[in-house]
Amino acid sequence: MDFLYYPQPLADLIIAFSRLPGIGPKTASRLAFFLLQHAEDATQLEKAIGDALQNIKQCSVCGNYTDSDPCKICDSERRVHSLLCIVEQPRDVVALEKTGEYKGLYHVLHGVLSPMEGVGPEQLNLSSLFGRLEKVEEVILAVNPTVEGEATALYISKLLKPLNIKVTRIAHGLPIGGDLEYADEVTIARALEGRRPL
Amino acid sequence: MAVYKADAIVIRTREYGESDRLITLFSREKGKLEAVAKGVRKPKSSQRGGTQLFTYADFLLYRGKNLDTVNQVQAKESFVHLWNDFDRTIAASCMVELLDVATTREQPEPELFFLTLSFLFWLKELDPYIAQAAYALRLMHIQGYLPVLDHCQECGKPLESEQSFLCAEAGGVLCAICKNNRVVKTLNPGSRALMKQLLRAKPDKIDRLRWNQSMKGEILGGLCFFCEQKLERKLKAWRQGSKL
Repeated sequence: MDFLYYPQPLADLIIAFSRLPGIGPKTASRLAFFLLQHAEDATQLEKAIGDALQNIKQCSVCGNYTDSDPCKICDSERRVHSLLCIVEQPRDVVALEKTGEYKGLYHVLHGVLSPMEGVGPEQLNLSSLFGRLEKVEEVILAVNPTVEGEATALYISKLLKPLNIKVTRIAHGLPIGGDLEYADEVTIARALEGRRPL
Repeated sequence: MAVYKADAIVIRTREYGESDRLITLFSREKGKLEAVAKGVRKPKSSQRGGTQLFTYADFLLYRGKNLDTVNQVQAKESFVHLWNDFDRTIAASCMVELLDVATTREQPEPELFFLTLSFLFWLKELDPYIAQAAYALRLMHIQGYLPVLDHCQECGKPLESEQSFLCAEAGGVLCAICKNNRVVKTLNPGSRALMKQLLRAKPDKIDRLRWNQSMKGEILGGLCFFCEQKLERKLKAWRQGSKL
């Protein structure tokens, strides 16, 4: 192990970096050495991590990461409170907000049902969903179009059915600039199902 | 050869890095393989469809130092019926999980490949959980650890209309006298008879088989228990499936 040749604090830093997703031992040691050589960047990083850990929490209403509880979206009177969009991850909220097309509220599941990984409904942020459906007229299921995402959407729609709330699924189809030739049969089938008149 | 082909089913997928996916394949030629499909979580990736869970496809793989990489993929069958039905997704997940746990890497098992492919097709018509039980029994038969259901594994007494107890350690069922303090799962005669039929029946006959809730729980619970004990691994999808 290379760590034997490093002073203990440096070895600890490399190990800490290598625990991060997508970072292998080489990258971890490169990052550690960079920070040692750039003290100002290291201090800023330390402060940013400290601030994020101290101030960011999950919104008690939607489950998104926020620095105020409830989050700005849940608290906003300008949002449409009768529309609720269910997404997998906080990153998906950002993706939808960037479009500027959606003005409703969100609910973040923090994952999808994945029986093979042992992820069941109790591991998802589902329990708080039912407490906030009083004013909701439509629930949009915007989980990813993967097998697990579809299973999650089917599961949630089954739970919501007795509540007489309109449940919709975001459309699936060909990406803008994509090539029909390379599209798979599930995508083409869904694109044909969701076709609309011009 | 640095580049090789595989006629394979995707039996497991995990997110990997920024936009990649780590996929486990079960191929006709080489058995279980693992490869990275790069950039397939991006909407415009041409490999996106072929690397989804349960997809049957032709793969062109590049042998890497640590992990192989998917060079090309041409989907042959996406099993749309599994996408549209929650119970079918769960049953298919249980089947491929069992296949994953029961096999080792790069060990060709063509019989298991055809069994899995057939059941993924048959799931369109069959009751998903009956299909799951039939698949598990047939996989255990191919792998050589099918539980003996006819007679007590300890004293040899034929078991007909009496309650029996499934015991992985004994390799089959035990009678009430021989079970002692062993870890067992109860199997009633009806469940035992159905399990024998599930093992031998052709797909059109499997479709005619019926079970009630208690037989379903007994058979699926018993198979999960037996496989977990034999393979010394937890079957997460089986456990989750019984709760959903």
